[in-house]
Amino acid sequence: MKQENLNPDDAKLRALLQTSRVSAPLPPRFQENVWRRIEDAEAPAKSESWLDVLTAFLLRPKFAVATVAALMLAGALLGTNAGAHLAKQDAQVRYLAAVAPNSLR
Amino acid sequence: MNRSLVILLGVLALGAVIFTGAYFAGQRAGELARPADELSWLRDEFHLGDADMQRVRQLHEGYLPKCAEMCAKIAAKKAELQAALGDGTNLTAEAQQKLTELGELRAQCQAQMLRHFIEVSQAMPPEEGRRYLEEMKNLTLGFHVEMEQTMSNSMGQMHGHE
Repeated sequence: MKQENLNPDDAKLRALLQTSRVSAPLPPRFQENVWRRIEDAEAPAKSESWLDVLTAFLLRPKFAVATVAALMLAGALLGTNAGAHLAKQDAQVRYLAAVAPNSLR
Repeated sequence: MNRSLVILLGVLALGAVIFTGAYFAGQRAGELARPADELSWLRDEFHLGDADMQRVRQLHEGYLPKCAEMCAKIAAKKAELQAALGDGTNLTAEAQQKLTELGELRAQCQAQMLRHFIEVSQAMPPEEGRRYLEEMKNLTLGFHVEMEQTMSNSMGQMHGHE
């Protein structure tokens, strides 16, 4: 196998390395963009509005599930109560209709 | 429109739909528990036991034919009054007589009804019986009391004294 001389002091090698450096062109407005990113990073974070905070809170899965369950439970309980009340009223009306004709009331 | 506001309104609408749906489902379930028996209200409202209910049922079934008979008499008398009134613009002596008879029949019917309520109240435990009688008097005679009260109030105002 052929052994190459890789000694860094070798003048020929140094000259060859210097000529082989690639200097790629920078993208347009590179410097301006860099400064803008630095400024953005250093600027204080923008505060969210109360609406965003509330929406984010409402959309949390645990809160959403608990709210749906609570609404269903409250609706069902209130509805059952109202239904029972209506049924009781209806039963009272039927009893009164049987014993006390409307013409007398 | 703000995205958060849209989401919030959607969440509120969805919550309202869920609550309303559950409410009506619950109401339907509550109504389905409605008993067919017309005496069920007495059992539930006045906490009657089976023995109380049996006595009340006997009284109720004994009273219904009498009540129907009285209703038929009142309906017939109303028809007679209607015929006596006819298309005339004057209150004839015959129409006045029919009005008096109708009033008497109504009074008899009310007295019979009150007697029945008293009998039923006596078939109940004392405290519940008192409550039943009070409530039935309010429900069946209360309208007249209210109407007469309104009439005496308006008369008082018309004549300028309290």
